[in-house]
Amino acid sequence: MLLLLLALAQSPDLFESKIRPVLAKSCYGCHSSKLKAPMGGLVLDTKAGLRAIVAPGKPAESKLLQALSYEDQHLQMPPSGKLAAPVLENFTRWVAEGALDPRPDAAAPANAPLKGMSVADGRKWWAFQPLAESPAPVVLNKAWPKRRIDSYLLAKLEEKKLTPSPRANARVLAQRAYLDLLGMRPTYAEIEAFAQDTSPNAYEKLIDKLLASPHYGEAWGRHWLDVARYAEDNPTSEATNPPYPYAWRYRDWVIEALNRDEPYDRFVQLQLAADLMPGTPRLDLRALGYLGTAPVYHKDQRLSLDVISTFLADDWDERVDAVSRGLLGMSVACARCHDHKFDPIPTKDYYGLAGVFASTMRSERPLFDVDPQVETRYQWLERRLFDLSYSRNTLVGEPTTVIGSEARVALWKEEIAKLRAEAETLPPKLAANLEKYWRDPAAKPVPPPKLVADATGRRRPGASNEPFMNTVYDAAQYVDGSDANYTWIHYKPGESRDLPVFLRGNAASPGEITPRHFLSVLAREDATLGPGSGRLTLARKIFTDSAPLAARVIVNRVWGWHFGKALVGTPSDFGTQGDLPTHPALLDDLAARFVQNGWSLKWLHREIMLSAAYQQASQRRPDGDRIDQANTLLWRMSPQRLTVEAYRDSLLRAAGTLDATPFGVSQDLDLATNHRRTIYGRIGRGGLNGLLKIYDFPDASQTSPGRDLTTTPLQQLFVLNGAFVSRQAEAAAKRVTDTRSLYRQILSRDPSPREIDLAASYLANSSLAEYAHVLLSTNEVLFRP
Amino acid sequence: MTRRQLMHHFASGAAAAFASPKGQASPVLGHYAGPALPAKAKHVIFLFLAGGPSHVDMFDPKPALLKFQGQRPGTVDLRTERQTGGLLPSPFTFQKYGRGGVDVSELLPRLASVIDEVCVIRSLYTFNPTHTPARSLLHSGSILATRPSLGAWSSYGLGSENDNLPSFIALTPGGGSGPFLRNGFLPAEYQGTPFNETEVEPEKMIANLRNPQLDAKAQRRQLDAIQALNREFSQSFGADDFLEGRIKSMEAAYRMQFEALDVFDIRQESEATRAQYGTTPFANGCLLARRLVERGVRYVHVNHNAGQDWDDHKDIEKSLRKRCPAMDQAAAALISDLKQRGLLDETLVVWGGEFGRTPVSESGDGRDHNPYGFTMWMAGGGIQGGQAYGATDDFGFKAVENRVSIHDLHATILHQLGIDHTKLTYRYAGRDFRLTDVFGDPIKAILS
Repeated sequence: MLLLLLALAQSPDLFESKIRPVLAKSCYGCHSSKLKAPMGGLVLDTKAGLRAIVAPGKPAESKLLQALSYEDQHLQMPPSGKLAAPVLENFTRWVAEGALDPRPDAAAPANAPLKGMSVADGRKWWAFQPLAESPAPVVLNKAWPKRRIDSYLLAKLEEKKLTPSPRANARVLAQRAYLDLLGMRPTYAEIEAFAQDTSPNAYEKLIDKLLASPHYGEAWGRHWLDVARYAEDNPTSEATNPPYPYAWRYRDWVIEALNRDEPYDRFVQLQLAADLMPGTPRLDLRALGYLGTAPVYHKDQRLSLDVISTFLADDWDERVDAVSRGLLGMSVACARCHDHKFDPIPTKDYYGLAGVFASTMRSERPLFDVDPQVETRYQWLERRLFDLSYSRNTLVGEPTTVIGSEARVALWKEEIAKLRAEAETLPPKLAANLEKYWRDPAAKPVPPPKLVADATGRRRPGASNEPFMNTVYDAAQYVDGSDANYTWIHYKPGESRDLPVFLRGNAASPGEITPRHFLSVLAREDATLGPGSGRLTLARKIFTDSAPLAARVIVNRVWGWHFGKALVGTPSDFGTQGDLPTHPALLDDLAARFVQNGWSLKWLHREIMLSAAYQQASQRRPDGDRIDQANTLLWRMSPQRLTVEAYRDSLLRAAGTLDATPFGVSQDLDLATNHRRTIYGRIGRGGLNGLLKIYDFPDASQTSPGRDLTTTPLQQLFVLNGAFVSRQAEAAAKRVTDTRSLYRQILSRDPSPREIDLAASYLANSSLAEYAHVLLSTNEVLFRP
Repeated sequence: MTRRQLMHHFASGAAAAFASPKGQASPVLGHYAGPALPAKAKHVIFLFLAGGPSHVDMFDPKPALLKFQGQRPGTVDLRTERQTGGLLPSPFTFQKYGRGGVDVSELLPRLASVIDEVCVIRSLYTFNPTHTPARSLLHSGSILATRPSLGAWSSYGLGSENDNLPSFIALTPGGGSGPFLRNGFLPAEYQGTPFNETEVEPEKMIANLRNPQLDAKAQRRQLDAIQALNREFSQSFGADDFLEGRIKSMEAAYRMQFEALDVFDIRQESEATRAQYGTTPFANGCLLARRLVERGVRYVHVNHNAGQDWDDHKDIEKSLRKRCPAMDQAAAALISDLKQRGLLDETLVVWGGEFGRTPVSESGDGRDHNPYGFTMWMAGGGIQGGQAYGATDDFGFKAVENRVSIHDLHATILHQLGIDHTKLTYRYAGRDFRLTDVFGDPIKAILS
């Protein structure tokens, strides 16, 4: 009754003047009955739709207000940023006063079918436009900007009457720089050295020193490996898709390439097509692990044509997705079953790209030089022998009801013998690596690669030190269903394959053949991908035809890894469903200069880290919180929780137990004796290490757009009760004598008088090791200020 | 006060002795924004029998197998994973039970006795004859290793009733991982938390649950010292969401240790109750699942055993005779126990494997994988018990009548939780994803 009165009392003016315009501007884009698929099924342009998330008179129970308040980290609307406080007050008042909605109760208009953007319209999309430097905006506070990016940021701040924050102190700057560039907290001595350097370019010298450190590649390699969905096995790891024994060589290559500041365009091109680029040093073929260790599914020859065809199509789909989202920020995989519903990507473009991966086969190559023809033959032989021996072995001991099985096995054995004779003419080191396939069947599948003892003496299945690498080569894949009982995949080296469009994504319903080609919306003039698989032309076109997009995407990622929040909030989706850049001119200008500076990532780090914006203090301010709580405008630096790698590495460093040896076969992170940097831990797609799992390591079966850093009780149980942290505490305590030295060892600083008192009262009843555990458990250890 | 609230009220009395946080447990909101359907179930318990339990030996009798024994009529010439032979009759006898006269084999006398609570669906089908892809399909609706599981979607959509416990828990021998607890592209907090059900002592089931060195008092002192330093740091640094959040999370972890020691300790159950379930890991899992839903956990996945022990490629008669009794006892006990406590109405129990088995033989006395037609059952949570729904062909190979795809199964489970499966979406990689992709319809005919 009371509600009713309130509703009657409320004038429609409030809704019409303060509520509806905001809904129209900030919400209808995703929540309109005119959309075919409104987000979450929620529509706000009808009375009934809005009513579903509003409890008239009860602001606390209204989901609309919860979303607008930004209090729940997973329910924050609108996604572009929190609405201004006065606007929110209007919404609260409107709900509190009864949420009068004067619109008629009319049924929602019939859904108009939604069509994706046409390719012609798509060419006008912001992300595909040529890059242009723009004159740095004019700002009032001329003293603040240190680099060009500062002017762009400051101009927006001044528009909103916000000022930047003061420069952080030396201690904070050192922590930030070490954590960002090396992925580890600085020691007490390192901070002191910086704090005491009074030269005017002390900070610049620090950045340059850290960029030159071999640990830089370990920190930034890990960022890249998230995008490259690096792992050492397959999601299911059955007999036909065992672990990749040499995956770690790809990881090492990434670290080395970043350390030598391989230009980003070439860095990516090597990963797609190192084998096709003239003059590539042999060791750079390790880069092909990007494709050569990609996830694949189990393909037992006894499975039907349809099942195998689907698995294979899923493998190609994963490559399309990794390349398009990872390198171009485009969700091309959405167009597998139908034209993209939002972005300018016709289904034909999907299959035009998928054909490249249908013409590329994973392989093992020797690390040493061999004749190219011999190498191609070896790669084919290795896979063919794998398939033959697997089939032979599965039929041995399996009572057969398929007529002619024995004859088939005899044929396979004959082929194995023939290939063996050929293999034995290969260079001995190659032949030796194939021996496992002609060993007499013991009714067992092919044995996994040799067990390799790691530094701890524990033998690890799956990884190998033999001089080989997991790569790819040009060979078209075809599924052969001509035998009703055995489905074979044929690999045809040197051949390439144009795929049919699979109708509704179904591999069993092939449609029109689509020549391999680059995405229509990005291609300039000739879109054809080829010769060969088309990997090399693809790798080149990404950095010619779509160079502006590729540059924006990587610059945006790097920005996000430094600031904790990227300029485009959806780093792997620059399409119409992704976020728009918060600072478009800044992104364009920075990307343009990045390209001019030879795609140098180290140049980009320097440009960002030497900015005044990056060096700001990270404390909140009432004026900033009021106007821009999400800190989208960067009126302060955003503090961050450390990633699991930086956290674990910093714990080891604080305990003095870190083994900084670089490179080599991965080790299990659960081993008590494993003190190496976390990037050298084994990464599994099927079973991920428990520590990585609870600290938000991304799913390595797909390219990751970025990590979602959570704070959960299970993490705290690891800290409070886990053996790893207590071992580090004991190690740290052994290196020190008193509270002061313990603080220096673990927190790289001196304790305050109050902290000395707190320690003294605790130590009256406890050991130094126990107090080391206390210090290692504090927020400060896990926090980048 | 409802019966359930009353029970919570009393339960919290006992736990208060541990300074338990029951009083402090609070709900976590979900993200489902579609129309709220009338929710019949608040919780799901998924009993998973990895490997593929044989429907033709347990719930789907096929007399024609005997008649055509050893033959291979054209309709059974379906390609599965391995080579198969002629039709293999079931060695087990079937009888009709309950008010609906539902067929159950002699292997499952206890489930037969509670069949009036159970709806046997005999017309499931899936899309792949190999274990891991089929498991991925059953748990996440896709063979791709990137999609969130049913449990993750449920917990994402509905949140939790008790923030001291994970909202999605997987009880699985040896801990482990797999598609059943995958969060895929959903945020990490929706991943199933695995607990080892082969153990009965909570500290052995949950990594790092107990502090090996400090007792509760010393631990509190340690935590107080940490928190004092955390507050010092917050004071010198200034307000920050992460710093505040982690202080709270530390307290939650501290409380969770004791909450979990209570919740996960099935030894606190009466002798009679434990005897009712049995003593196998699966029995422990079923009993623990009941304790968890009682405390507000949204979704509990129970694995029957490590590995895939229902994968009877050979010697199926002997194996089923050995394996069925304990499973039968525990699953039936779960249904009776939930019912007796008034929890069955709000708890949906789902039973099944990633596929069924072929009516044709493999290795003479075994059966191969069968994705074309198989049986699962559901009980409680608004499902009409005492009936069999759907049918396979004369030999039990292919679902032919009222066919139910795994997407239909998912749509039905979400429907019972009050969720329209077409409206539970997550924006990722350029589009809105659903558990059921573009498929699935709830099976309306089996709802009570």
